[in-house]
Amino acid sequence: MSSYDVLRQGLNAPICLTWEMTYACNLLCVHCLSSSGTRAPDELSTAEAKALLDEWAAMRVFYINVGGGEPMTRPDFFELMEYSIARRIGVKFSTNGTLVDREAARWIASTDYLDVQISVDGASAEVNDAIRGDGSFSRARRAMELLAEEGFPFKVNHVVTRRSFAQLDGLHALVTGMGGQLRVTRLRPSGRGRAVWDALKLTQEQNRGLYAWLRAHPDVLTGDSFFHLSALGAPLDGLNMCGAGRIVCCVDPRGDVYACPFVLADEFKAGNVRDSSFATIWSESPLFERLRGWEVGGQCRSCGAYGRCHGGCMAVKHFTDTPLDDPDPECVFAPESGPTTTVIPLTLSPRPIRPAPAR
Amino acid sequence: MRRSDRVRLDDAVALRPEKFGALAYSYRDRQLFFIDQRLLPFVDSAGARQVGEIADELVASGELQEAAVPKLLTVLEGLRRKGVVHVVI
Repeated sequence: MSSYDVLRQGLNAPICLTWEMTYACNLLCVHCLSSSGTRAPDELSTAEAKALLDEWAAMRVFYINVGGGEPMTRPDFFELMEYSIARRIGVKFSTNGTLVDREAARWIASTDYLDVQISVDGASAEVNDAIRGDGSFSRARRAMELLAEEGFPFKVNHVVTRRSFAQLDGLHALVTGMGGQLRVTRLRPSGRGRAVWDALKLTQEQNRGLYAWLRAHPDVLTGDSFFHLSALGAPLDGLNMCGAGRIVCCVDPRGDVYACPFVLADEFKAGNVRDSSFATIWSESPLFERLRGWEVGGQCRSCGAYGRCHGGCMAVKHFTDTPLDDPDPECVFAPESGPTTTVIPLTLSPRPIRPAPAR
Repeated sequence: MRRSDRVRLDDAVALRPEKFGALAYSYRDRQLFFIDQRLLPFVDSAGARQVGEIADELVASGELQEAAVPKLLTVLEGLRRKGVVHVVI
């Protein structure tokens, strides 16, 4: 049995568990997959969050991807991260970097089992700030500098768009020059991303260019984001499959469990940790059972590249009203859909950075 | 890997049982490893017994074919090179 078949049928616990700790954010990025900006009033309390971490430790979850919103806006952020690590659950947290001061940088650098990803969506303020908000590039860069001064090998996560594609080399040089590692991930039409999808998604020419660029830069991480591009030739590094409900899931700030961080929609909600245990939801939810038995069907099954891309990303299909058995809307064999101009006006504007809440 | 070697899991590696055997995760380099069911008794032996002794027992009980042992020891050697297990000295 191939690793694809083994993983498709689900595991005792997720490999990659995303915990969106809060929807509060001091930025308002135009492509935010969770439409973050405002704290949910019924967010999990510190005690509920700790009980969840206890459960994950019992399930031997190796690590969690912590995101949001901006996780550092939670007053109990450091407490919960230390609680997690003390239970041997490694933490990879995503931050916009605005709240990383020298004290936080020292804490990050001195904590084992902790990885940090700073979100940067362009190699210049002009490109980044149009998506993430005025001043966000310089604040993210400051966070990178502080971590570099502590000798900490931070990561930069870059959601590549048609506006930033030409800056990949520049961003790679900037990040690696500071001792960091670049991670490039796929834009999804999730959350507010739906409103800017047509304006920011890569052109087919850029998608082909990205495949070649990733092949030429094996040091660049992708979080298995671009498995739809593996149809172009030799597979990209990673499992090259949709892990939703199989090896991946997402817990939102209210404790709702979704199949993956990119499908925060009722159709993909498996349960809530306030109603039943996370372990029960993971192993018994009808939604997850269905996903584990399902494979993309339709015309993909007769495609020679099926074994490398497995039909692409479920979230991209869902939010573009594409049937799940159809090819990925960005299938490399599909004709270009929509304009190819690099700069198309955005229908949303990011908000300037809000003041940081007191710690 | 010699049959007289004893192996133990690296301190920074966590092991989780799965239907196919186990998943191993290294906190040191953030790598994930798939451990086949047949390999698990070796990886999880905590250095208590020689790998040849474990293999003989599995062969005797019919859980392993003698012909499969050299290949398993090669895979185990691969895990040693990647720092997942160490030979106990």
